[in-house]
Amino acid sequence: MNKSVFLILVFFTTTICKGQSPVQLAPPLLKYHSKFFKNKVTVEIKFAQPGTQIHYTLNHQQSTEQDKIYTKPIQIKKSFTTIKAMVTGEGFLSSETVSATFIKDGLKIKSVQQTPSSKKFPGNGSNTLIDNEGGITDMSSKTWMGYQQDSVEINIAFEKKQKLSSVLINCLQNQGRWIFLPAQISVFYFDKSKQLFKLLGEQLLVTNEKIAAASCEPIIIVAARKVKAQKIKIILKAIKTLPEWHAGKGQAGWIFVDEIKLY
Amino acid sequence: MQRRTFIKNSSIAAAGLIYQPSLAFTEDPLLGQGNKLYRLNTSWSKADVAKNPVNDCHEMVQDSKGRIILLTNEVKNNVLMYDKAGKLLTTWGSEYPGAHGLTLFNENGTEVLFICDNNRHQVIKTTMDGRVLLTLDYPKETGEYTRAEEYVPTETAITPNGDIYVADGYGKDFIIRYNAAGRYISHFGGRGDEPKHLRNAHGVCVDQRDPKNPNLIVTSREQNAFKRYTFQGKYIDTIPLPGAWVCRPVIKGDYLYSAVLQSNSNLWKQSGFITILDKNFKVVSNLGGSEPKYADGKLDEMYQTIKYFDYPHDVCVDDEENLYIAQWNSGKVYPYKLSPVV
Repeated sequence: MNKSVFLILVFFTTTICKGQSPVQLAPPLLKYHSKFFKNKVTVEIKFAQPGTQIHYTLNHQQSTEQDKIYTKPIQIKKSFTTIKAMVTGEGFLSSETVSATFIKDGLKIKSVQQTPSSKKFPGNGSNTLIDNEGGITDMSSKTWMGYQQDSVEINIAFEKKQKLSSVLINCLQNQGRWIFLPAQISVFYFDKSKQLFKLLGEQLLVTNEKIAAASCEPIIIVAARKVKAQKIKIILKAIKTLPEWHAGKGQAGWIFVDEIKLY
Repeated sequence: MQRRTFIKNSSIAAAGLIYQPSLAFTEDPLLGQGNKLYRLNTSWSKADVAKNPVNDCHEMVQDSKGRIILLTNEVKNNVLMYDKAGKLLTTWGSEYPGAHGLTLFNENGTEVLFICDNNRHQVIKTTMDGRVLLTLDYPKETGEYTRAEEYVPTETAITPNGDIYVADGYGKDFIIRYNAAGRYISHFGGRGDEPKHLRNAHGVCVDQRDPKNPNLIVTSREQNAFKRYTFQGKYIDTIPLPGAWVCRPVIKGDYLYSAVLQSNSNLWKQSGFITILDKNFKVVSNLGGSEPKYADGKLDEMYQTIKYFDYPHDVCVDDEENLYIAQWNSGKVYPYKLSPVV
């Protein structure tokens, strides 16, 4: 008996001394065809690790282990729905949360014309920026149009005059691959009575901050007041040169854009 | 027998009062699936960090004496030689700031090492104690290179006749073939859109598992694949490994092992794991990664599930089937050891 007590003590001491803290689970995978959709989009959440559960929310709240357990693919119909998901498992620290926001089609666009993109990243035909395909962080996805130049101009036309309150431009950020968010985005609308383009809204972006991971960034420019217009012009300005800390410092970076939405 | 059972049970009961769940802490964690299961030991190396630090641990091999040899880009000691229990036996090397690839070759009964140095843009052949035997500069004979900086060799493989294949994995992704004396023979691979082309040709190895049909396996890391070629450089086929940034292929017995630097689904976020393929190139186990699943012969995307590793960079399999994992950019950690569970 004494011996067993001793062994128990040894057991505790070694266990405590070893100090093995629980290991964290990796986040689950959110799988979907595109983050943009016309009527609905189906989202699958994957995590092939026995003994774990996926929890998720659809209401922009942080997901916790109290949330619904994922069992089957989720259908999303409402614009700007955000899925947040994480994984729990006994003996492990819960995973980080991953999230994705799904965006429904906006005003119907008659035509889009843009500065010719780099031959290396030509996108997928003339409607690349309005085809509801994209939101994929993989830069080699055919949804992206890539530019290595100072500015990119995108011209959009409606069938007839539309009331317009905001513009969404989805850009890729993958600094390791020299892809930065535009430094400035300006949106203009065509004032037919004056026969000239007027500023609808403008946004300056902090783009020289170091971010290791690749991400899609939907940038929304809200008009100070609603306007009625048939033609819209969007100008994306690239950062002048890659920042000091970057391997390609002093050289030109890339802008990648895959989708434009007008509301 | 009864007594032992009693002791075990009482420890469980007592531990249960403090830890919940408790038993997970009493043993090293179990990794993998199917019949390829391993226990992880993160404190295998007994090296003194003050005396023998490491930076990126890039690659490891075992020699015929049973020693485990590590290559790091820490110029205080580029090469660290351990015994299997993790005791540091000896170190050498201070002239390899870009030490990356380490290959062992038995040259007519004498073992030699091939080191790829990213920063020096060279491949260096040495004796086991570090004496330089041969240096290969950038391969201008190919007509593909105009200066050394374009050439960033990551790995070598040596065929039984002594021919050297160098993978320019951080340069132009060519595989360059030399004879044993270091004379250029030919080159293949390179970048492009055809199946025979490579993107991040990070590793190369000789596969002799089918003795009648030996060939080369080359990594195309950013394409998440291995590609097979004949010794003459003719493309054979592609082994897709969706989601996995595989480093070099390492063959031991019937199996192919590879460190997966990171998961495509979670880039640059310490999302690595280890993958093991059988001789038919079917993934049978992922250590710290998703359970491999095939649907209609097609492998599902793979990814890290448990954060046991940050950025694993190489697997060394010893004569007792233990694995040693060298990691890149992972807080200067020494290699981990994984012991098979049978």
